[in-house]
Amino acid sequence: MDRQQDYVLRTVEERNIRSLRLWFTDVLGVLKSVAIAPAELESAFTEGIGFDGSAIEGLTRVYEADMIAHPDPSTFQLLPWRGEKQVTARMFCDLFTPDGEPSAADSRQVLRRALARASEQGFTYYTHPEVEFYLFQTPVDPTNLIPVDCGGYFDHVVRSAGQDFRREAITMLEDMGISVEFSHHEAGPGQNEIDLRYADALTTADNLMSFRTIVKEVALEQGVFASFMPKPLSDHPGSGMHTHVSLFEGDSNAFYEPGAPLELSQVGRSFIAGLLRHAAEITAVTNQFVNSYKRLWSGAEAPSYICWGHNNRSALVRVPMYSPGKGQSTRVEYRALDSAVNPYLAFAVILAAGLQGVKNGYELPEGAEDDVWELTDAERRAMGIDPLPTSLDAAISVMQSSELVAETLGEHVFDFFLRNKRKEWADYRTQITAYELSRFVPSL
Amino acid sequence: MSGPPGRSGRTPSMAARLGRAGVRDVARTERLLADAALTAVVPADADLPGLLGEVADPDLAALGLVKVADAVRPGPARTALVAALADPGPAAARLLAVLGASTELGNFVATHPNALLAVLDDEPATGVDAGAVRAELLGVVGADPAADVPVAEPGGPAGVDAMRVAYRTRLVRIAAADLVAEDPAQTMPQVAAALADLAAAALEASLALARAEMDDHGAGVRLAVIGMGKCGGRELNYVSDVDVVYVAEPCEGTPEDEAMVVGARLATSLARACSSVSGEPALWPVDAALRPEGKDGPLVRTLASHRTYYERWARTWEFQALLKARPLAGDAGLGAAYVEMTQPFVWSAVTREHFVEDSQAMRRRVEEHLPRAQADRQIKLGVGGLRDVEFTVQLLQLVHGRADETIRSGNTLTALAALASVGYVGRDHAAQLDQHYRFLRVMEHRLQLARLQRTHVLPTAEADLERLARSMGMRGADVLTERWRSTQRDVRHLHEEMFYRPLLPATAQLSTDEARLAPDAAKARLAAIGYRDPAGAVRHIAALTEGLSRRAAIQRQLLPVMLGWFADGADPDAGLLAFRRLSDTLGSTHWYLKLLRDSGNAAQNLSSVLSTSRYVADVLTRSPKSVMWLGDDAELEPRPHQVLWAEAEAILDRTEEPVAAAVALRALRRREMARAACAQVLAQVTEDRVAASVTTATDVVLAGGVRIARHQARHSLGLDQDPAQFAVVAMGRLGGQEMGYSSDADVMYVYDPVASADAAVAQEWAVQVAVMLRALLVDTAAEPPLELDTDLRPEGRNGPLVRSLAAFEEYYERWSSVWEAQALLRARPVAGDQDLGERFMALADPVRYPTGGLALADVREIRRIKARVEAERLPRGVDPARHVKLGRGGLSDVEWTAQLYQLCHAHEVVALRTTSTTGALDAAAEAGLLESDDVQVLRAAWELAMRVRDANVLWSGRTDPAHTNQLPHDRRTLVGVARAMGYGPGGGAALEEEYLRSARRSRAVVERVFYG
Repeated sequence: MDRQQDYVLRTVEERNIRSLRLWFTDVLGVLKSVAIAPAELESAFTEGIGFDGSAIEGLTRVYEADMIAHPDPSTFQLLPWRGEKQVTARMFCDLFTPDGEPSAADSRQVLRRALARASEQGFTYYTHPEVEFYLFQTPVDPTNLIPVDCGGYFDHVVRSAGQDFRREAITMLEDMGISVEFSHHEAGPGQNEIDLRYADALTTADNLMSFRTIVKEVALEQGVFASFMPKPLSDHPGSGMHTHVSLFEGDSNAFYEPGAPLELSQVGRSFIAGLLRHAAEITAVTNQFVNSYKRLWSGAEAPSYICWGHNNRSALVRVPMYSPGKGQSTRVEYRALDSAVNPYLAFAVILAAGLQGVKNGYELPEGAEDDVWELTDAERRAMGIDPLPTSLDAAISVMQSSELVAETLGEHVFDFFLRNKRKEWADYRTQITAYELSRFVPSL
Repeated sequence: MSGPPGRSGRTPSMAARLGRAGVRDVARTERLLADAALTAVVPADADLPGLLGEVADPDLAALGLVKVADAVRPGPARTALVAALADPGPAAARLLAVLGASTELGNFVATHPNALLAVLDDEPATGVDAGAVRAELLGVVGADPAADVPVAEPGGPAGVDAMRVAYRTRLVRIAAADLVAEDPAQTMPQVAAALADLAAAALEASLALARAEMDDHGAGVRLAVIGMGKCGGRELNYVSDVDVVYVAEPCEGTPEDEAMVVGARLATSLARACSSVSGEPALWPVDAALRPEGKDGPLVRTLASHRTYYERWARTWEFQALLKARPLAGDAGLGAAYVEMTQPFVWSAVTREHFVEDSQAMRRRVEEHLPRAQADRQIKLGVGGLRDVEFTVQLLQLVHGRADETIRSGNTLTALAALASVGYVGRDHAAQLDQHYRFLRVMEHRLQLARLQRTHVLPTAEADLERLARSMGMRGADVLTERWRSTQRDVRHLHEEMFYRPLLPATAQLSTDEARLAPDAAKARLAAIGYRDPAGAVRHIAALTEGLSRRAAIQRQLLPVMLGWFADGADPDAGLLAFRRLSDTLGSTHWYLKLLRDSGNAAQNLSSVLSTSRYVADVLTRSPKSVMWLGDDAELEPRPHQVLWAEAEAILDRTEEPVAAAVALRALRRREMARAACAQVLAQVTEDRVAASVTTATDVVLAGGVRIARHQARHSLGLDQDPAQFAVVAMGRLGGQEMGYSSDADVMYVYDPVASADAAVAQEWAVQVAVMLRALLVDTAAEPPLELDTDLRPEGRNGPLVRSLAAFEEYYERWSSVWEAQALLRARPVAGDQDLGERFMALADPVRYPTGGLALADVREIRRIKARVEAERLPRGVDPARHVKLGRGGLSDVEWTAQLYQLCHAHEVVALRTTSTTGALDAAAEAGLLESDDVQVLRAAWELAMRVRDANVLWSGRTDPAHTNQLPHDRRTLVGVARAMGYGPGGGAALEEEYLRSARRSRAVVERVFYG
């Protein structure tokens, strides 16, 4: 640790950094930032920075407003968009109570705890997200969103804002040490996808928080607006965040077993079985907004049904094509997540669900070969394929009886999350939508 | 075989002499001694059996001697051997001692006969200048001892082997001197110092070898090897890991990162020279795990990098380790700078965050009472072993070394002597601990010598123990075992004496021999073990121990160890203060002092309850006689009803004055609650036993109170006889026999005029009884009140206070609402006329167990009331998740659920006709009305909520609902409550998580099975 701290202190001096941002994430996955002067950095390392957390969603109970943020020096990065004059850097923080206990309300601690449990079983956990998002023309009118282009999947759009945008965003991501695997135009107009390279789950979650910030920043610079809303346009695909996950035991991929079907080890099979069995319970976390369910149930390739398949683009869990000789890359893709997720919590519950399968040796049900959307309800029932919750309301009611999710999030976050989501659902239900108005005013 | 010709008649046979010398296989040894190789170097008349008699293992020595004789070639070694054996003197004794104590060293001498000279010559083995030893080992690898940076020439495997042989040769010399020492315990420190110097020289030579391996000899980096642990303390044993830390600095012109890479290579290669496989056996592992970040950290660091780490990250144990840091090898200036840099950290560690917790953990480790399994034979880590001695000394050094530079030595015995000479510990105690340490070390040394193995475990085989005893100059395994046992006991005891006794003020010292701490030192020591107000503690200690009274004398004996027990509780300061109050109250009461002094566990139990529970502290101060219970487990058992009732009757019989009698009854109840509380804190009773105890005492007080009140009412109305029967019906928690320390008594009053009586008089009398009962049990008096709550009567507060049986009957027939039926579920006649009580219950049964169960409308009504109660009764601003009574999944949730099932099904399931919540739940499960999993969840939540409620009272001493009904928010209170519930130190977060989880699960069940 101290080497990293030394490095940070030295860099701050050498690069003449003017301002430091301490980042953390509230329970809903919104990035929060506290700025400190470089002079305060040393004491931030030794003692942490105290702040009043009572105004921040889900962070504290009313009676203990004080929180201590301890910056994690291994997450130190310059913020490239701040330019060379106002050099600014950021670090992610772990949150503690004034007594030095890890804060029960800190998303990052939730993931840390889940990782610690996995590590007790000898596993490390890697994730690799594919983030989709839309670019809209500015100024943005939420009632009339205009995408920046009319391209489709993998389209090369000449002189498109999107292409410049992706180039610039990727440069900035790489500047911050976040490796990008792949990027392309997605199916919707103005929709883009950028895939991050796989890394341990905590790093990936931190990277996603940076990623969303960078994308927003670059958009601002280029005069467009970026949105991670799960389903902004009813006629076009939503923005998902398919996430590939894998477990490693030491240096070897625990999902890989040469010669097994799909080269998938027993651990891998049980992990998938765990994901499937607990999929409904974790959906409120992986798809946390009312709008998330508009994407989840929009048909096409949305992963609405709890099943798995090999290269089946309609399945909830997919085992990607195995490339011979690449045992280390054996992985499982979970396709429910959307881009507005709190990655710390979502990665934690996915891990917990999978490990539950590994621990209890769940049997993997048969894979689905067909496009499950093409099947009739009766056929799906016959095949034992259940749907994911169809609304936030349904997801909440499954989650609230889930010991797995309660255990993973901890009682405090669990309780806050449910309360917050119930309120969101209640608020949403009172809305009179444009659909209702246009449909019913003329006829009733 | 026989002895020399011509002597056989006069002297005992060779076999007999060998037998007397302790040889086990006489025939074999006899053959060995006649071996041609041996007879070639030993004169025929040498007294070999006599020499063998002095050594640890004569059989082994004989075998070794033959091997050596066989191996030695003509030359100085052989000459010396012949000379030594020709006229056996000290030299021969040393040789045989080595051969008889160590297989491994015997083999070494046999394979390197020149090493014989080191055993046989008269050069000193200990007290040798460390510089000379260093020069010797550098010399054998061809390095210049005078050079700033010695480099081996030529180095390589041959150099490594040469270094190892030189090391072993000197090791044999030290072992030889050690083994024949008159009093090994006396010379142990010199031996340990010589071993440390030898290890340092080996490291120096290894560094020279490491440099030789590099093209530029690693010229760009200065490297210092810092010794930690025993080597750092210059008190090494024969074979153990040598703990080191490497510090490196770039030389001018070399970039730092490059220098660190080279430094790490040097360190790795140095360690290899000492411990990897080669032509000669390895010396010992070089262990750098004490470096910053342990095994995950870089092997070498700069001075500044070390400093940064120690400033920010290091934990208490790391400073404890640094206490022994000493430059061993490499760049002397850099090594000295490192030690100079680290010292301020070590001596201010006591002021760092977490020091108290860490030191408490260290202390607990030494003070734990139960010997850990298998630890019994562990000389190093076992109970009363070397680690305990070292911890005791180091903890005292850390606590007081901040203010006092004279006690900072890294050497255990030097530090111990310094602590005694400055008065931080008693001289006698220090001297005793010194002796024990030396004994343990000599035992360790002898054990390790046998096979030159890193071992700290006493052997189990009789023969091995015997050999060990002989090697220590003891006759017999029994003697050794007995000494080991007594050492174990004493080390523990001495820790307590040394750590706590000097906390007594000067005025409390019995003899001038004892140590006494200056006020600041006492405060430092108290703060280090967790007292928050050391100045206050010092005052209490003084008050408790000063003076010539017998009480002061006994407390002087007891208090030191009690100070440690208080510190184990959640609130040491409160414990000490309560003890002082108690002592002031009890003064020199004979039994009190005797109890504390003589009872095996009274003092410890007392310390434990006083520092864990303010409630118990208060009740014990009020009725000090209760302290007696703490010495006798049987006294902590709950008293059965008939015993208490007999006592109450005796009170009533002998006390004329009504108020006095009532006060005596209230005292009885308080005493029984105190008994339950003591037992609960000491974890001797379970939660339901507490509830039963409190309820039983309440029953008895009510019965007695009614008797007095009837008498008074009769008297005030001028009646000769009671005009009616009168009964008290218990409701609520009292009815359910589920009372806690803070529960009110829910009651209803019923009367029934006797045939001859006027109805109006009977009613007036009955009202008077009820009013007087309240006056007797509730109104101000020295004893705590028994609050009576009559709100559960028909029509609640608007209804008449007492009703006749006939009025009840009419009411229930005409008006009864479902909540009244629900309240009746826990009704139980508790005092007054038994016959009337039974008739009332006969009346109540059809109401509470309605035939055919509840109508759907009634079920709905109960659910509705419950929902409204949830919304309205919860105090404002309280987090529902944390309210154990009315909050989600709390007591009320579970109880209403049980009661709904009773109302619906008790008419057909007789087992449901119970006043007990858990009884009803179990009956519902038994009858298949509820899933047994659900019942488990509800029971667990209900029991935990009850425990939290009681623990709130135990910890805070407060019984008001605002305090008892909530899981505390304040972290310190939460931790204290958790301790009162039996969680370990720092269990607050665990309790919180467990309660929230249990209540959440319970609520989920309630929503399903109650609300449907």
